Amino acid sequence: MMQRIDLAPLLRETVATPYSDMVTRSTGAALRDRIEQTIAGASHRTTQLDFTSVGLLDFSCADEVVAKLLLRVAAEDEHYVVLSGITDSHLDAIDHVLERHGLSVAALTEGEAAPRVLGVVTPDAVTAFQTIQRLGAGDANRLADALTWTVERAADALQSLALRRLIQAAGGTYRPLSLS
Amino acid sequence: MRVVTVPTSLDDRTLDTLAQGIGEWPPSEGILLDARSAHWASPYGLTAMLTLGQAMAEAKLPTPRLTIPDSDDVRSYWGRAGFFLAAAECFELVGKLPRKNSDAPSDVLLPVTPVRAAEDVHHVVGRIQERAQHILSSELNLEPKATLGFAMALSEACQNIVEHAGTGGWVAVQTYNWRKRLGRKVVVIAVSDSGVGFRRSLEPTEAKKVGDRWGDGAALELALLHNVSRFRDPGRGQGLAGIRRYLGRWQGKISVRSGTARLAVVPPWDDDVPLAEHLPYFPGSQVQITIPAQEAVTR
Repeated sequence: MMQRIDLAPLLRETVATPYSDMVTRSTGAALRDRIEQTIAGASHRTTQLDFTSVGLLDFSCADEVVAKLLLRVAAEDEHYVVLSGITDSHLDAIDHVLERHGLSVAALTEGEAAPRVLGVVTPDAVTAFQTIQRLGAGDANRLADALTWTVERAADALQSLALRRLIQAAGGTYRPLSLS
Repeated sequence: MRVVTVPTSLDDRTLDTLAQGIGEWPPSEGILLDARSAHWASPYGLTAMLTLGQAMAEAKLPTPRLTIPDSDDVRSYWGRAGFFLAAAECFELVGKLPRKNSDAPSDVLLPVTPVRAAEDVHHVVGRIQERAQHILSSELNLEPKATLGFAMALSEACQNIVEHAGTGGWVAVQTYNWRKRLGRKVVVIAVSDSGVGFRRSLEPTEAKKVGDRWGDGAALELALLHNVSRFRDPGRGQGLAGIRRYLGRWQGKISVRSGTARLAVVPPWDDDVPLAEHLPYFPGSQVQITIPAQEAVTR
């Protein structure tokens, strides 16, 4: 099961301005607090942060809401974060802060049906991520067959994705994160 | 009372002349800024003058006086750009104020606006998006991505005041036709505060590491070129880094003056020096971000 957190209304509750922009570090820190409370109050393994109707996102706010949240979640067992409703207004800041921290995240961007990886990731991992979205659950052999890679190369890419919490891993099998 | 003549054209280059006129800081006597002969002031010049007034108030010095420009056009323009409204808070204004007119000139994308807290940054970013997007795309040919980045750069520049200055400041945004200097239009963000400055902000954590070279210039280099912040949090220092990344993509320029030094990231179209040190002291920090129209770049 996935927990969806709609950021636009959360922003309006957190900051008393008529604007829909996620700007300033203090706004980001306040939002992250609310997000962490929401996550802590539920038992879902995957949290989707929905940026739909959020206007601008600046670097400082992205650092608090996306990068720091990923760092906190990374300390917990088996919790995943995906982003949705991402537009050009958000991409630059998210990419920037993820690169700065060496992080990556799966994101559904506006107008695209399949998620993509934002932030730091190798070309093999990107290819593997895209292929898994298409193939669904499987193992390294299945991915290697689909991409005509060696099993070792496929396994390396899958392990890298799993360590970054971009896919779920269990007993040698892998599956994409649930987005619904 | 020391009379300091405001240069006829006050901008990032001529602020040094104004600072020279002030002399030692803090000044030992009252100051009268004589702007009667002023013909023009950039947003940088206007916000810097306000910073001087604010710094004197915060230092509990006598309220400085400011004589209003003689030229009807100049004082009308400064009035519509929001300058006198702000200046009345920290100067004793001498001379005939222009009639109140709420309409900012069309090239003023954001009149002189105070920045004291995070809410002010929300307000500034919201206003600039309402007012500026059409102008930035139609007159400066900035792509939608560039106009978004512009608002982000503005947000981060304003946040430097909230996060680091320890006091309030001012922001203004304007477009110009830099026909002689550049041959195209530009949009300029000016942010100025009377706060502690980069050297004092970074001194506790960085001065020993730098050693003898420590000073305003070294502090600016650390902050602007190496993303160093006074906070240990590794996520800090991203604001100026993000601004530089944005400006690199759109051939923009950033220039930061603090204390006695000015550091600029200079694009190919400009002839500014990267680092100027041993300048006359001016209180606080002044940031100017300049983004040129994209049309001429692609030709």
